[in-house]
Amino acid sequence: MQKNPLLVIVPFLLLLSTSAADAHAMLERAEPRVGNKVASPPREVTLWFTQKLETAFSTITVTNAAGERVDTGKTRVSGNQMSIVIRAGGAGTYRVNWQVLSVDTHRTDGSFTFQVGQ
Amino acid sequence: MAWLGAEIDVPMVAVRAVHFAATASAAGALVFRAVVDPVLPAADQVKPVIDARIRWLIWISVTIAFISGVVWLLLQTSSMSGQAITSSEIATVMDETQFGFVSMVRLTLTVLLAASLACGHRWQPARWLALGSAVCLIAAIAWTGHAASTPYALGYLHLAADALHLLGAAAWIGGLMSLALLLHVLSGYRASAKPTLQLDVVSRFSRLGIVSVATLVVSGIINAWILVGSLRALVATDYGRILMLKIAAFMLMLTLAGANRFWLTPRLAAPDDKSLHALTRNTVAEIVLGLIIFVIVGLLGTLHPAAHLVK
Repeated sequence: MQKNPLLVIVPFLLLLSTSAADAHAMLERAEPRVGNKVASPPREVTLWFTQKLETAFSTITVTNAAGERVDTGKTRVSGNQMSIVIRAGGAGTYRVNWQVLSVDTHRTDGSFTFQVGQ
Repeated sequence: MAWLGAEIDVPMVAVRAVHFAATASAAGALVFRAVVDPVLPAADQVKPVIDARIRWLIWISVTIAFISGVVWLLLQTSSMSGQAITSSEIATVMDETQFGFVSMVRLTLTVLLAASLACGHRWQPARWLALGSAVCLIAAIAWTGHAASTPYALGYLHLAADALHLLGAAAWIGGLMSLALLLHVLSGYRASAKPTLQLDVVSRFSRLGIVSVATLVVSGIINAWILVGSLRALVATDYGRILMLKIAAFMLMLTLAGANRFWLTPRLAAPDDKSLHALTRNTVAEIVLGLIIFVIVGLLGTLHPAAHLVK
C-alpha cells in the first residue's frame, strides 16, 4: 500500500510552524553565583559565557542596594570570561548588568542579582 | 520578518547568502578546473570554449564576492555597534573585533585572487596562487561564524570541521556550476570523441563529488554535535528546525547526485544525447538546491545555536 505523502509532510510543517519558548541562556555561570548570598562584598565580579567574547563591545556594570554604581568601569575580557573590579558598597542586593558581543557577532544582554551581608 | 518562528534580519541573511554562494562558486570552479581540466584534450576545439566559460564564472563570482563582502562588513558593523555606520565604528570593528580582522584578510585575499586570475594565462604559478587564495577565502569564513566563538579546546575542532565543511560545499556546489557550463558546451559539440570525453569529465567530477560529500557529512555531524547537541534541541529550537530543512535539501541533492552517478553516467557512452540532457537538468536542479542551502546557512549564522538554548 502506498502511503499518502501528506501524512509525512503535514506533521513536519506543523512541527516547523510551532515556535518554542526559547530563552537566550548565554551566561554559563558567574562568581559570585547568580542569586547567591556572600558575607562581604566581593573584590570583583566574573562572568563566564557559552561563547568567546569581543572586548570592544562587551561590558559589565554593577550597582549596590542604593542603585549606585560600584564597578570601576573597566571590564576585562579573556576568551569566554569577563570580569570587573568593584568597590565596597555595603550590604544588600547587588545587581549585575551585562552586555556582550560574541566573536560570532551575536549581541546579548542580561542581568542578575546577588546578596551581600549576613 | 519572522519565519518558522525565527526573527529574520532580511538584508543580513541576503548578503550572507549571496557572499557564501559567490565565494563557493569561485573556489569550486577553480577546484573543478584543477581536477577536471587535465581530462580535456589540449588540442581539442572544445577546451578553449570551456576554459573561457569557467573563467567568466570565476570572474563574476569574485566580483560579487568582493562587493557582498564589503556590504556584509558594513551591515555587521551597524549590527555589532548597535549604531549607524560611521567611519569610527568601522575602524573599531576592523581594529578590535575578530570579524573585522578576518573580513580585512578575506577582502585582501579576494584582491589577490583577482590579480592571480588576471595573470593566470601568462604565468602558470598564478593559476595555483588563484586556487590557493580561493581555498583560503572560503575556509576563512569559519573564523567569522559560530565556530570562531566556541570556547576551550573544542573550539579548534569546531573551526577545523567548519573550514572543511565550507571547502566541501564549495567543491561540490561550485564544481556543479562549472559542470553545468561544461555539459552545456558539450551538448552542442559534434565529434566522434564526444561520448568518451563526456564520460571522462563526469567520472572525474563524480570522484570529486564523493570526496566532497564525505567531507560534508563528517564535518556536518561534528558541527551539529557542537551547535545542536541533542535531538530535543533539534526539534525544539528555531535553529534546529531550520537545520532540518537544510539537511532535507542536502538529502535531495544526494538523491539527484546518486541518480547521476549510478543511472545516467554509465549511459553517457551511448551515441544519443538523452542521458546528457537528463544529467544537465539534474545538475541544474542540484545547483538550485545548493543555492537554497546557502540562504539557509545565511540565516542559521544569524541565529543563536540550539545547544545554547536548550538545557
